[in-house]
Amino acid sequence: MEPADELLEEESALELQTEPMRLNMGPSHPAMHGTVRMVLDLDGETIVNLDLQPGYLHRGFEKSCERGTWAQVFPYVDRLNYVSPMLNNVGWSLAVEKLLGIEVPERCQYYRVILGELSRITDHFTCNGASAMELGAFTPFLWLLKVRDWIWDILEKETGARMTHSFGRIGGMAAPPTATFKDDLRAVIPELHKVVKEAEIMLIRNRIFLDRMQGVGILTKEQALAYGCTGPVARGSGVAYDVRKDHPYMVYDRFDFEVPIGEDGDNWDRFMVRFEEVRQSIRIIEQAMEQMPDDGPVNVDDPRIVFPEKSDVYDTIEATIAHFKLVMEGLQTPKGEVYSFTEGGNGELGFYIVSDGSGTPYRVRVRPPCWYNLTACREMLIGEMIADIVPTFGSINMIGGECDR
Amino acid sequence: MPTFKLDGREISFEPGETVIEAAWRVGIEIPHYCWHPGLSIAANCRMCLVHITSGRQMEMPQLELDEETGEYVPATKPKLQPACQLGAVEGMEVSSTNEVVKKAQAAVQEFLLLNHPVDCPICDQAGECKLQDYYQEHQGTLKRKLTEPVHKPKGVRFGPTIVYDAERCIMCTRCIRVSDELAKDHVLDMRERGDRNEIVLAPGRELDHKYTLMTEHVCPVGALTSSDFRFKARVWFLKSRPSVCTGCATGCNTHADYDPRNGKVYRLRPRDNPDVNEFWMCDDGMMTYTRHDTDRLLMPTAGRGEERTPILEGDALELAAEKLSNVESSKLGVVLSAQHTTEDNLALVKLAQALGAEHLYLAALGGWEGDDILRSEDNNPNRAGAMRAAGGVALKPVGDLLTDVQSGSVQGVLALGARTAERLEELAPLVVLDAVVSLTTHVGALSAVAAVAIPVADTFEIEGSFVNEKGMEQAFEPVLAAPIGVEPGWRTIAALAGLLGHDLGFEDLQGLRRGLGTEVEAAQ
Repeated sequence: MEPADELLEEESALELQTEPMRLNMGPSHPAMHGTVRMVLDLDGETIVNLDLQPGYLHRGFEKSCERGTWAQVFPYVDRLNYVSPMLNNVGWSLAVEKLLGIEVPERCQYYRVILGELSRITDHFTCNGASAMELGAFTPFLWLLKVRDWIWDILEKETGARMTHSFGRIGGMAAPPTATFKDDLRAVIPELHKVVKEAEIMLIRNRIFLDRMQGVGILTKEQALAYGCTGPVARGSGVAYDVRKDHPYMVYDRFDFEVPIGEDGDNWDRFMVRFEEVRQSIRIIEQAMEQMPDDGPVNVDDPRIVFPEKSDVYDTIEATIAHFKLVMEGLQTPKGEVYSFTEGGNGELGFYIVSDGSGTPYRVRVRPPCWYNLTACREMLIGEMIADIVPTFGSINMIGGECDR
Repeated sequence: MPTFKLDGREISFEPGETVIEAAWRVGIEIPHYCWHPGLSIAANCRMCLVHITSGRQMEMPQLELDEETGEYVPATKPKLQPACQLGAVEGMEVSSTNEVVKKAQAAVQEFLLLNHPVDCPICDQAGECKLQDYYQEHQGTLKRKLTEPVHKPKGVRFGPTIVYDAERCIMCTRCIRVSDELAKDHVLDMRERGDRNEIVLAPGRELDHKYTLMTEHVCPVGALTSSDFRFKARVWFLKSRPSVCTGCATGCNTHADYDPRNGKVYRLRPRDNPDVNEFWMCDDGMMTYTRHDTDRLLMPTAGRGEERTPILEGDALELAAEKLSNVESSKLGVVLSAQHTTEDNLALVKLAQALGAEHLYLAALGGWEGDDILRSEDNNPNRAGAMRAAGGVALKPVGDLLTDVQSGSVQGVLALGARTAERLEELAPLVVLDAVVSLTTHVGALSAVAAVAIPVADTFEIEGSFVNEKGMEQAFEPVLAAPIGVEPGWRTIAALAGLLGHDLGFEDLQGLRRGLGTEVEAAQ
């Protein structure tokens, strides 16, 4: 134990009584990932009070949805949690499909699971890599992002875009899996295992890293529940809630995977939960690859829901009409409202949609997991030092696009 | 009233009514192409087939494929009835949505699209086409036929107003029936049979009766298109507002379809009103929308005869007021207009009363043929309204104005509207007068002889009402915004009155209407 620590135990030996100071952190600050502003009341370097002010990235997502067709929402959901856009695509597809009362073919469900889990891995890699980098560990960050790029290569090959895929469709996907899809996955999975291990070797016995992560930014289980936290934040605090396990959707009930949970609810637990979830995601992908049929339809067989093939649109009147109706009036949904929720990168990503029976959403409300995790951030930070904001806020993985909408 | 049940819902009907008609009256649409509430029953499209679920079931023999053995075995299916021809019977239970009916609807729809060309991208009907609507609602399967569709004549000129495309036609015969039954002219008929069916003109004839545009209006698909509207606009860009036709004293109710992006009306469609025009309008009435943009007066002008110079707004009203104040009020002739709204005319009558002017005239159009179908003998939309506004004072024709000017009993003229039956040369006596003021929407004979002509807003741009020849007061609302600086007639008259030192006693249209003493029925 170092001398300073000994002195600390004598009450307020090192405490310099200072005048309280108010400090603005953000909205434009390197540690404030997605332009959020924190108004800090400081006593020396200790945070006495903290006012979190999100909203700088508000684009009116929900309102924008009300002026297009149901299908035109996909590019918007890409830009919610833009670190794992495929999970949002799948979430939105499932919400509208629930409203329509349809289920996509099994092949598509497996396809969605695999693409979604790949997205989750990129999400966790980004978050953990950035956490390490912000504490000075640049190498693991570069390693993780290198492999993230390989995953993006697969996603690019499948969807045509590295990040904003807009690949989901109501009643299916924009395209069936490519012929080399499974081979590409088999090539990259060993690299995923390897990089997680390497990053862990670099970090989990690194004294500096441990001191900044362990025992910092604690969120108790009760607090996590009280704030409605979900995802790695809640699981880091010991709440074993995972939508994939507790309310299985698509084919998640067919896979054998664990839900890792932490004990202390500190930055360290959240960090380790994310790495363990990457391993579980790989397990899911491996099982899904085995079970996914190699042929068969991807989209539901109804030209009133899924756009017909372009060649048919040019050649036959039926497909022309279906295309015209889907473009001009949008997919017709029954009147009603549904709440559909999936496990997003940061927790329960919910879409509450109201339909007035027309081709346009009447109201769309998103439950962005970040929002609830961010509000809990205040509990984590009060009593900590300014420097702890960086790893703690990083471990929330607040994504402005999703939080502020 | 007797009732029957349609899809579990009680519907009352008049004895003799059909199922489709009774359902239509309460706002339920049983899918149909050939049936039209204003036409006779053809029952040829088979889209409105329904299943009578009560009483003795009629079965039809058919062969069904046995999936296991792969052989066709004899079976039966319920016999369906066309709802358009099926008289409603007390206590009858009808289904228009059960599985049997759905299958029939899908099959009929598939048949209708069998040889349909891939024309939606170039078809004027796209966006308001029954084939598109019912495909989406009742079929929803892709093409099964692999052979080339049957080709038939396209772009056939039927007459000055209508172009026919036989490939798009579903042979519902609505156009034949509308010619026969509305226009009483059997100029259209059908030839051949099966997939060679085609609508043809009577030999040596053109489609040239007075109601040709109604054939296009009733066409549920894009087979008949109007030469006027063809390729002009896409219907999904158009918005619609209710209005009233200005073509004649019948006052047919219309939908004015306009493009909000450029503020232009592209067509009129009849608006159902059983008391006035039922479902129909005549060709001339349908084309009245073109008057709106033609020869509009947009700037106040000064001059004599046809050589005129624009004057700045504000100055124009003052100039008019100055000229009118030089005339002894008893020698001022006030001309009402049978083309303008009752409100415009009423404001002018109030001004005449305030000034003490005694000579009231009425400018009206002529030169038009009526018929006993819809077209009134009088081609002015609001003669009755102008007379009502005058409140019993006799309105003299414009011909009398010329005599009065020549005799010297009228030395100044304040005229509303520019359209009158008299030609410009006939109005020459007015040119010698200094104080001739015209408040007008368009350039016409009266505005051409005026010393000062001031533009006012047109029917499409104002709220107001017309009184038709039956004495029915029909209010309408603005469809478009008036050009900048152009005000409604009644407001311009009130401003002119202010400059002449009179308050006409109303602030807005409601205040003005109170002077009329009747409540105006609002447009639907």
